[in-house]
Amino acid sequence: MKTQFLKIAKSRVMLIVIALLCVLASCSEEVFNPALVREFKLQSQTNGAMYTITVGLPSGYDPTTQKYAAIYLLDGEEDFDFVANKCAEISASHATPNAIVVGIGYGNDRSIDYTPTKVSSVTGGAPDFMEFIEDQLIPTIEKDFGADTTRMSRAILGHSYGGLFGAFVFTVRNKLFGNYLILSPSLWFDNEVTLLLEKERRSINKDQRQQVFLGIGQMENSGRMQAPFDAFYNALQENYSNTSVSRNKEKNLDHMGSKNPNIINALNYFFDNQ
Amino acid sequence: MKTNMLLVIAFVSTINSPAVAQASQVANDKLSYPYRILTIEPGVGIHTNFGTDILITNLVQWNPRKHLSLASHSSFNINNVTQRNFNFIKTNYNYSLNQKFGAGATIYRKKSSHSFLMMVGIKYTAFQESLENPDLEKVTTTIAAVSPDYGLMYSMKRGKKKYFFSYRMYVPLSPWPAKGTDMNYLDGNLNNVALELALGIKLK
Repeated sequence: MKTQFLKIAKSRVMLIVIALLCVLASCSEEVFNPALVREFKLQSQTNGAMYTITVGLPSGYDPTTQKYAAIYLLDGEEDFDFVANKCAEISASHATPNAIVVGIGYGNDRSIDYTPTKVSSVTGGAPDFMEFIEDQLIPTIEKDFGADTTRMSRAILGHSYGGLFGAFVFTVRNKLFGNYLILSPSLWFDNEVTLLLEKERRSINKDQRQQVFLGIGQMENSGRMQAPFDAFYNALQENYSNTSVSRNKEKNLDHMGSKNPNIINALNYFFDNQ
Repeated sequence: MKTNMLLVIAFVSTINSPAVAQASQVANDKLSYPYRILTIEPGVGIHTNFGTDILITNLVQWNPRKHLSLASHSSFNINNVTQRNFNFIKTNYNYSLNQKFGAGATIYRKKSSHSFLMMVGIKYTAFQESLENPDLEKVTTTIAAVSPDYGLMYSMKRGKKKYFFSYRMYVPLSPWPAKGTDMNYLDGNLNNVALELALGIKLK
């Protein structure tokens, strides 16, 4: 009796384990075609950090005959494969040329590189990181990979602190990018310092032509995300006459859950407007 | 959907397991944890998002048969209680209401009973935030949303008299894997795992 009970119990446990393995297996990330990936390291002259740069090329890549738009991706180590795959899919569905995806790895802690001001020992490196992108990374990508050198063909894509960095670049080095894909930005940082910078530099930036996608999760209810997000959206809508702004609140999703759906929305917006 | 089905099959296979039935039968022959037909269990709880949500909850459980359980779970959640004023961002209100119904099985041990339930229902969430930075324009954001709420509930009862102690845990199955199987979705599940302590009352 006892042996039979143990046997049945064992088989049930096995069934659960198999079901869980099936679920976990379906979570595995789809890797971007390795034949289209180039990787190199670049040391920043401003902060000394070594960044691993992963470049995803469009299929049929031929820089001698074509110039490509480039999407500079923050948190590249985490999101490169997803973004590169989605770029290939979405550009194909829009029948527009695909872009080069430039995944920027971590040279420093992301909380250092992506935050504009120093409020602790692990924040405030954004000005140096931005200089690295402007003076070293963009010239390398445009020279070595045949990326288009016009501002409107460059995009920056970031989530959370990465979104904050995107908004920071928009305000203080607006000439760098023509497309800002800003997701769940941590605009609450340092008493909304980025919103204050936007206001301060509005007269310089407001006539620039640019495209901004702002995405957030509708359920980001931690008491800090929604109101600054809407404040940034309102500022752009009301004051930037040449800026096309799109806003999306991803239904029933929170900070992390809304990330990938909003990446897809942002890329659709980007390729729609190419 | 496929992954959901697998989870449901796994869950149902455990609760209807002859092994479970036999085990409880064996236990039941020797021991005498009471079989209660109808209970009400008001309680309080937290979510696992660093414990910043306070839950006021109630479970009504009806066991028409000894091992078959039907349940109704209601919850009023006061969300993000400890961070209502942060960097000039004021939370005016933030709460949610959940109502779920479920079915499952109960097994009995010497000093306790254990119920495993599949719950399905809805959740209404409402919150309002205002940016009140004196150097910026005031902006107020209001969100009110209804969403499906489903998951697995475990409820343990201890104490053999009319009043007893009850502990329960609810693990939502949304947004992961219902919305997608990407691991980023798991954050939403983990933030909404509910842990509750309750005082149970036997009605029948």
